[in-house]
Order: sequence, then structure tokens, then C-alpha cells
Amino acid sequence: MTGSALLRARGVTRWYGRGSALVRAVDEVDLEVPAGQTLAIMGPSGCGKSTLLHLLGGLQRPADGEIWLAEHRIDTMSERGLARLRRHHIGFVFQSFHLMDELTAVENVELAALLAGQSPRRARQRAMTLLDRVGLADRAKHLPSALSGGQRQRVAIARALSNEPLVVLADEPTGNLDSAATLEVLRLFEELRTTGQTLVVVTHDARIAAVADRVISMRDGSFADDSQLAGTADAGTVYGGWR
Amino acid sequence: MAGRLLLVCRLMVRDLRRRRTETVLLLLLAISAATATLTLGLALNNALAQPYERTRAATAGPDVVATPGATGAEALAALAPLAAAPGVTAHSGPYPMAYLMLTARGKTVPAVVQGRDNSSAALDRPAVTAGTWVRPGGVVFEPTFANALGVHIGDTVDINGHPLRVVGTAVTAARAVYPSADWRAHAGSPLTESAGLVWVDSSQIGALAGARPLSYTLNLRYADPRASTSFTHKRTDGIEYSSWVGIAEADGRLVKPARLALMVGSWLLTALAVASVANIVAGRVVDQRRRVGLLKAVGAGPAMIAAVHLAEYLVIGLAAAGAGLAAGWLAAPALTSPGAGLLGSTGTHPPALRTVLAATVLALAIAAAAALAPVLRAATTDTVDALADAATPPRRRGWRVWLSRRMPTALLIGVRINARRPRRVRFVMVNTLITTTGLAALLMGLAQDRHVRLGETELVNPRSTRTLQAMLLVIVVLCVLALINAVVSTWTAVLDARQPLAVARTLGATPAQVTVGMAVAQLLPAIPGVALGIPAGIGLYLITSMGDIQYAPASWMYALALTVLFTVAVLTAIPALAATRRPVADALQSTPT
Ligand SMILES: Nc1ncnc2c1ncn2[C@@H]1O[C@H](COP(=O)(O)OP(=O)(O)OP(=O)(O)O)[C@@H](O)[C@H]1O
Ligand SMILES: [Mg+2]
Repeated sequence: MTGSALLRARGVTRWYGRGSALVRAVDEVDLEVPAGQTLAIMGPSGCGKSTLLHLLGGLQRPADGEIWLAEHRIDTMSERGLARLRRHHIGFVFQSFHLMDELTAVENVELAALLAGQSPRRARQRAMTLLDRVGLADRAKHLPSALSGGQRQRVAIARALSNEPLVVLADEPTGNLDSAATLEVLRLFEELRTTGQTLVVVTHDARIAAVADRVISMRDGSFADDSQLAGTADAGTVYGGWR
Repeated sequence: MAGRLLLVCRLMVRDLRRRRTETVLLLLLAISAATATLTLGLALNNALAQPYERTRAATAGPDVVATPGATGAEALAALAPLAAAPGVTAHSGPYPMAYLMLTARGKTVPAVVQGRDNSSAALDRPAVTAGTWVRPGGVVFEPTFANALGVHIGDTVDINGHPLRVVGTAVTAARAVYPSADWRAHAGSPLTESAGLVWVDSSQIGALAGARPLSYTLNLRYADPRASTSFTHKRTDGIEYSSWVGIAEADGRLVKPARLALMVGSWLLTALAVASVANIVAGRVVDQRRRVGLLKAVGAGPAMIAAVHLAEYLVIGLAAAGAGLAAGWLAAPALTSPGAGLLGSTGTHPPALRTVLAATVLALAIAAAAALAPVLRAATTDTVDALADAATPPRRRGWRVWLSRRMPTALLIGVRINARRPRRVRFVMVNTLITTTGLAALLMGLAQDRHVRLGETELVNPRSTRTLQAMLLVIVVLCVLALINAVVSTWTAVLDARQPLAVARTLGATPAQVTVGMAVAQLLPAIPGVALGIPAGIGLYLITSMGDIQYAPASWMYALALTVLFTVAVLTAIPALAATRRPVADALQSTPT
């Protein structure tokens, strides 16, 4: 594998079905994401964005190709190894939040830390810090059912950050949110970008793409366009546009 | 480590709390029922061996009992050298015995009347279990015999024309309890093998016997244990010898069939418990898929996921083991007393460690098997699929749908509903099969002659009473579990079929057709369950019983089949009717996707 990019994929392929029903969800994709980059992946529905993200996070295995995260090769890793990798180095944010309904906000956030073997006290401290960072310190003891959609997504983001992951993978994080809640999430992502967190976001939302360092357009399983955004340095002007 | 442990406990507690109580209760009940019967079986197993030994120790039971065929002075002469024979370390007697007719509560039966007094004997000191020991004018009964006759302390009975007051009951290790005493008598005496034993004051026995000659019995103890363990019964030089080994074995015969019934019953119950646990677990898998996917997404490995599920089921399993042990242990004395004819009943001592272990292992094994399904699934499912939260979509069976197009509406609805959920269909079948098997076996038991012939009179055989009691106990537990299973499976069927039923009603089916359709859906698999269960129950009874067996009348079996099917239909119709009360639009909207 070439380069020193944090996340690297080469020739990654994932097909569904066979014969006439064959869907090339991800078709020989090459990708390098350097550390600290915020990458937005856009494209029409069904073009394979989610599938690519799942492959990058080891939630699914590619039929072909290689995927590396730092020095770990993901595509051939055992289930146990993948679990370890996910709990230490990858944070996921889903469109439908995927919080555990029976756990409170703070318990959801500390879930990853506890799984990683941290002491309950340290995990709680870290979870409270993160909740504070996403502006939900006062909702720590609430069950997800008592939170709004935007608040749930912020809890999910806090959970994704809990183990200081190498990369955060977000799949349409604002897909279920109204515009005010979207702004909150956006603010968080912007903040993550400035702290140098590597971030891959699949989105339909141009506003999220606008704060990214780089935007990739997908079509029918492959990349149609890959543009480094020059204007990211003055993201302020972008905010200005829609604020 | 502490963090992970906390996590496992937290997830377990929250999940148990979130679960619908009925699933947890049902799991508890199913596993408890299995452990309770096992406990009971093991308790009776102990009761079989130990009380005789306990009685033997407490009453200074003899090694061998010698009874000559001859009577009077001739018998005494025959016994005289035995007490002084080499190897004999102790003896008591000879005690006079008369084989006389005893009348109590309008029944006249042969009895063995033994004359004893208050002096302390070296061997065989019957232990009084109620009332007092013999005194002139009084008679003491062996308790199982008293029970069979319905005689109580204070009653007056008649022995060979002489009225005597019942002053007490006592147990001995020198004879097996009624009706297994196995008396061997010389020709012409009214004695039958299964006569009961009573004691009177030795000063009176001559008067009671009147013209009848007296027999004698001598109790012996040997220095060499092999002198009594090498045989059960023998006859030498006109003397009958019974060893304690033979007496213990005959004693055990009282509860042996009951024990067998319990054992077979606990297999049936375990099978039913496993089926219902499997059904509950399968129902929960859908619910657990998303949870598992989620845990995997945040980095929980296979071991963690296994731990979370195991912890939950093991807690349920342990609770069930405790409940089952307690229930089984409390029920055990009902089967061994009253009047077991032996000292000590099971309930008075804490359960043996072996029993506790066996019951716990059974409960935990069922629970662990239950946890295995989600764990295996978690290990094999794709995380993404699991997260997609897709319940197994109803299965479409082409031929059944085709077939159902040619049927009356209600039948059509029933067949189509079943075509959607083959697992539930199998469960309904297994549930009715096992229940019907148990009930059919019980009917066979009821059809047997449960009497002992004593001379001209028939008395209840305590052995059959006990066996029936044991069967009844198992069947009641079995039926309760089966009923709960039926209710739960019906409810889930109704909930699950709400949407297609609503669609059917939009298309013009009447509530009655829909209700009958649901009932048909549950009845269809119940019919083969019943059809197989009846021969299975009869077969089970034939295999596990000894002696000549009478078949239960066919009408009983028809009635059984109809009752089971009717119960299933009613159990289904009620929730189905309740569901059709709601407006169609409600049902269409409220259904989960
Ligand atoms: N489990 C599956 N079985 C068969 N085909 C699938 C499966 N999952 C996804 N696909 C197909 O793969 C293609 C890519 O799916 P994917 O979910 O990655 O698209 P997407 O870009 O995320 O779409 P959207 O924007 O709607 O979320 C689609 O055509 C989809 O139909
Ligand atoms: Mg998608």
C-alpha cells in the first residue's frame, strides 16, 4: 500500500445478488483519506455510499480489494479483531442514531469506553465531558426516548468520540433531522474538523459538504468526481451563506 | 474488567426490566416446572431407599425374621435352637401371631395380629407414629394398612368377634408395609400374602385367636452381614426366613411406580419446557437482532455479546432453579406421607446436595440452550443486516396459498396465517402433542383396577393411589404450562396476524369469519398433535407399567381429543374476537412494520 494516508482502500468491490439481479454497490473503488481530513461522500440514492462506509468501518467485508486503517488491514481481519478495532479506533454515527433504548444518554456514551476496558469511573468522567461538549450535560440521565432527534444524534456523536477514534464514519447523520437540529450537528462536525479529527461523512446535505475539506461524488458504485475544496479555509463564508 | 462487568450487568438488568413481564415469567415458569418435577423425582428416589433404613435403625430392625410353618408348641420347638445358633448376636421373640379376620368400617379383611408387650425388646421395637403403643383392649395398626381401611385412632374395630379400640399406629422394619408384606402361610389359614399387620397386647392374643392355633415369629441379628444380605427369602426345614434386604425391596415397591411416573412426567415436562423456551427465545431473536448489531457496531466482540445474553438467561435459570427446587421439595411429602408406613418423610430434611445440583444443572442447561440461539446468530449475522432491523419476513408457501384459494373463507384465512409462520405452527403442534400424551397416560392410569383383594373384600391399593397422585401432579403442572403456552402463542398469533386480518376485513371478510379463521389457524396444527398424542400416551403407559393392563374406554379418549381441541379453539377465539372488535383502520395503522 502506498502513501501514509490514515484510511486507504484499493480496488474495493462489493456486489449484491447475481445474474440479471446483480448490483455493483461498490465497484473497484480506490480511496485515500489523510489524517485530519474531513471527507464528504455524496451521490444519488442507491449509488453505494452506505455500503462503502460499512466496508471502511469493517461492518461488512469486501468481495475484493484491500482496506487499511493506519497499520491495520481490515478486509481480512477476524471478527474479534474487527470488534477490537471498532471499539478502539472507529466511531460510527448512523442516520437512525442506533442508541440503546434501555440505556440513558450518559450510559450510551460510556458504552464504548466500558467495552474498551476502561474503569467505570474514568468512563463516566469521559462521557460527561463529551456530553458537555455536545451541549447535553443536563440530559445525561435521560433515556433516548425522552430526547429529540437532534439530541439523540448528538449523543450518538459523543458515543462515537468516546474512545478518541482514529476516524469517525457518519452515514447521513442529519438525514432524520430538521434544519435546526442539522445546524447543531453541523457545528459539531465543524468543531471536529478544527480539532483535526479524521471524518468521513456520507450525506445528501450540501451544507455538510460545504464544511468538508474534500467532496467525493459517487455514481453507480464508483467515484464520479473527487474535489479538494480550496475554500475550506474560510468556512466562515459558507456558514454566512446559510446562517 | 470492572467496566465490562458493569456493562454486562447493566445491559442485563435493563433488558430484563424492559422485557415484557410475561416473557420473563413464562421463561421462569417453564424452567421451574422442569426442575420441580426433577426435584420431586429425586426426592422420591431418596424416599425409596432411606426411610426403610431410617426405620430399621430407629426400631432396631432384625437382620432376618424366622417364621415356622408349624403352629403352637411345635413352632416354638422349631425356633428354640435358632436363637442360640452360632453367629447369632441378638434375638427377640418368639412373638405369638394369629391370622384372624378384622372388621373395620364395615369391611372384613384378613389381618396378621401380633402379640407384644411393653417390655423392651432387643430387636424390632416398633416406633409409634401416632397415639400410643399396645395395652390391653387396644390395637395398634401399621399406618398404611390403617389408611387403606380408613381407620383412625379412637375407632373401635372387631378382631375375630372381639371389639378393640385403635390406640395408635406404629412402624416396623421386620415387615414390609401393606400390601407388600408377602406373608407365606401354611395351607388352610385365612392368611393372604398382602394382609395388613396389627399389634395387640400379648396377654390378649390367645383370647382373640380362640380355637385357632398361634403362629410364632423370631427376630435374629447375625455377626456376619452376609448371613442376611445373601438372600431375600428362603425356606429351610419348614421355617420361612425373610432377610431385611427382601423387606426393604418390598417396601420400595410402594413408591416405585409413582417414581417412574414422575420420572417419565419430568421428561415430558422438560420437553415441553424446552419447546416453550425455544418458542420464547425465537420470538425474542427478532427483538435482539438490532441490539446485537448495535453492540457490534460500537465494538463488542463475540465473547461480550455471548456474555450479555448468557448473563440474562442464567439469572432467569437460577431463579427458576430455586423456585423449582422449593416447589418440588414442598410437594414431595404429599407423595410419601401420610402413612408411608415408614419413619421420616422427605420434607423434613433439606434436599440432598445431589438433588440441588441436578436441578440447578437442568435449569441452567435449559437457560444456556436458550441463550445459544441469539449468540450463534450474533456471531454469524452481518452487523449491517442486524442493524437494518429486519425481522424475518413472513414466509410465503406457494402451494398453501394456492390451496387456500379453493376453500371457505375462514379456512382460507387460517391456512394463510399458518403459511406465514411455520415455527409457531410447529410449536402449537408440539404443545398439544405433549399435553395430550400426558393426559392420555393419565386416563390409562385411571382405567386400571386400583384395588387389592383381601379375602372377600377389596381395599384401595396404596401403591396405585400414590402412582395416580404422582401422575396427577405432573399432569397438572404440564397442563398449566401448556395452557400458558397456548395463551401466549395465540396472543402473538393474533398480534402478528392483525394486519393481514385487517386487510382481509377491508376486502369484505366478516369479524366472525376472521375469528373462526384464527381459531382454524391454531386448530389445524393442534389436530395432528392430538391424533399423535393419544397413541403416544397409551404407548407410554404400556411401556412403563407392569402386570396386566386394562385399556381406557375409547369414549374417554374421544372425549379427551375433543376437550383439548375445544380448549385450543376457545383460547384462540377470545383474543381474536377482541382484536376484531377494533375498527379496521386502527389495526392497519397500529401494526408495526
Ligand atoms: N443487502 C442488500 N442486498 C441486495 N442489495 C443491496 C443490499 N444492500 C444494498 N443493496 C444495493 O446496493 C446498492 C447500494 O446501496 P447503498 O445502501 O450503499 O446505497 P446508498 O448510496 O447508501 O443509498 P441511500 O442514499 O438511499 O442511502 C443499492 O442499489 C442497493 O439496492
Ligand atoms: Mg445509505
